[in-house]
Amino acid sequence: MKCGDKMDKLTREEVEHVAHLARIGLSEDDITRYQVELKKMIDEIDKIKTMSDFDEEFMISPCKNEVPLDNGKVDNIETDNILKNVPKKKGNFVEVPVMVNE
Amino acid sequence: MSKYIDKSLNEIHEALVKGEIKPVDLVNECLDRINKNNLNAFITMNDKVIEEAKELEKMEVPKDDLFFGIPIAIKDNIMVNGMLCTCASKILSNFEAIYDAGVIDLVKEHHMLIIGKTNMDEFAMGSTSETSYYGTPINPWNKERVPGGSSGGSAVSVAGRLVPLALGSDTGGSIRQPSSFNGIVGMKPSYGRVSRYGLVAFASSLDQIGPMTRNVLENANLLNVICGKDDRDMTSVETNEDFTRLIGKPLKDFKVAIPNYFLSDFVDSEVRNKVLEIKEMLEKNNVKVDMVDINHIDMAVILYQIIAMGEASSNLARFDGIRYGYSYPDPENLEDLYLKTRQYGFGNEVKRRIMVGSYILSGENAKIYYSKAMQIRDDLQKSFKKIFSEYNLIIGPSAARCAYPLNSGKDDPLHCFMDDILVMHANMGGFPCISIPIGFNSEKLPIGLQILGNNFDEATIYQLASFIEKELNLDLEGGKVSE
Repeated sequence: MKCGDKMDKLTREEVEHVAHLARIGLSEDDITRYQVELKKMIDEIDKIKTMSDFDEEFMISPCKNEVPLDNGKVDNIETDNILKNVPKKKGNFVEVPVMVNE
Repeated sequence: MSKYIDKSLNEIHEALVKGEIKPVDLVNECLDRINKNNLNAFITMNDKVIEEAKELEKMEVPKDDLFFGIPIAIKDNIMVNGMLCTCASKILSNFEAIYDAGVIDLVKEHHMLIIGKTNMDEFAMGSTSETSYYGTPINPWNKERVPGGSSGGSAVSVAGRLVPLALGSDTGGSIRQPSSFNGIVGMKPSYGRVSRYGLVAFASSLDQIGPMTRNVLENANLLNVICGKDDRDMTSVETNEDFTRLIGKPLKDFKVAIPNYFLSDFVDSEVRNKVLEIKEMLEKNNVKVDMVDINHIDMAVILYQIIAMGEASSNLARFDGIRYGYSYPDPENLEDLYLKTRQYGFGNEVKRRIMVGSYILSGENAKIYYSKAMQIRDDLQKSFKKIFSEYNLIIGPSAARCAYPLNSGKDDPLHCFMDDILVMHANMGGFPCISIPIGFNSEKLPIGLQILGNNFDEATIYQLASFIEKELNLDLEGGKVSE
């Protein structure tokens, strides 16, 4: 989906679309506000389209270091510690809302 | 109360070695100032710091460790085991770190004393610290002006002389711009120089932790102890060098470039003139200074927006209300839990960036925006590298203007990006870059100079920074709080 072509603001559907991609709930006020604010931001990043395209395939890496393929060393963290910040739990399990109807 | 905390690190260290003072005395001096002057620089205080300071009394003060017993402030997006790590967001307002970040391991190894976690823009997204869920820190130079951001609390804590040292993080200017607004020295090291393990990720290919201090020497010394390879951060590299080694050495055959773009019309005339004064001063000292053009230099803001928002949308997908942090209390179903937790947990600036970032990375857009931005970023890095093949360093203003009135950019979603228009290049290329104070404007607000170097060439940056600092010999106590 392309957003906001030749308009002053995004349509309601466009805002709902990007909010859905981002998993962010919206109030009516939010929709009105983001129609204008997100349009401004997308217009700005659209300036990249004025730059000529590159022909060759490109390998993207954030750093030039030779990085190992494994994930390196990770600290062991106790289960109790991990569960410390869980909002809802039962015993050693993380509780989530029901996903399947009875 | 004595004022040891205002002395140089060397003097404090000597006093500790001689037994004239104890670490707890330094901590008490800091806490006294913090309590008497509410600059809102801290989100969480370390309630064990007195105990930890007293614990150090059992040890002999090591003569070769400058940082033993020295108080330090830590930005609240860096994990300190057992302390809240809120990132100045409601969504992490109850989140307790369960491990130490790589840099905190080193801070503790050197027995520095963590005073507290500093205020910042929510998830480091902003340039004024006004997006903090905990209110804006106060710029000690002028309470009506923004403190800068996102490491606003760290900058304020050093400028107000509440602590001698702080750590910040910099994704697109977040150490250097607040350092400039507060008249302190802030370094964004080369990408990979300092471990990002335990730094809450914003834009992983740009983020870097760095030191914020009162002067250049202390900055170089602090970088000496926080850098190095960490097996838990694949992008960190082993470096074994002394960043102070060129400080005080003559600037022999030194060549410095100033990009014409850095002195464009959008830069405030007082800031521009101050940078030109530095140019003149360097030329008088036989440094060759040339104005240069750099390919793609004006594209940095757009590249930053695309790369930073894209990566942020991916990194912040983890905040779902299930595993940690704020959780919407009464959801209808799982989808509703995600939507409402993020709707009420994140602030407006963060939500906007996540939404645009998700759009940037969705389907074909990933190629149109993100891949293309990464290609131009590569070209931009090469353009800067070409300059570094002819010049030792690049200099320019750290910010286009001095600290401006609070709330001036609140309703403009592009405002904060424009604040960092001159400093994002360092993050794009992974280059080290420092901001140092070079004087004041007519309103007595500090002006900062950025010095940018080739990858892993922090030592040369410190050499020039220290030379300029010595030549100017500024009185930077203007931000110091009252006793």
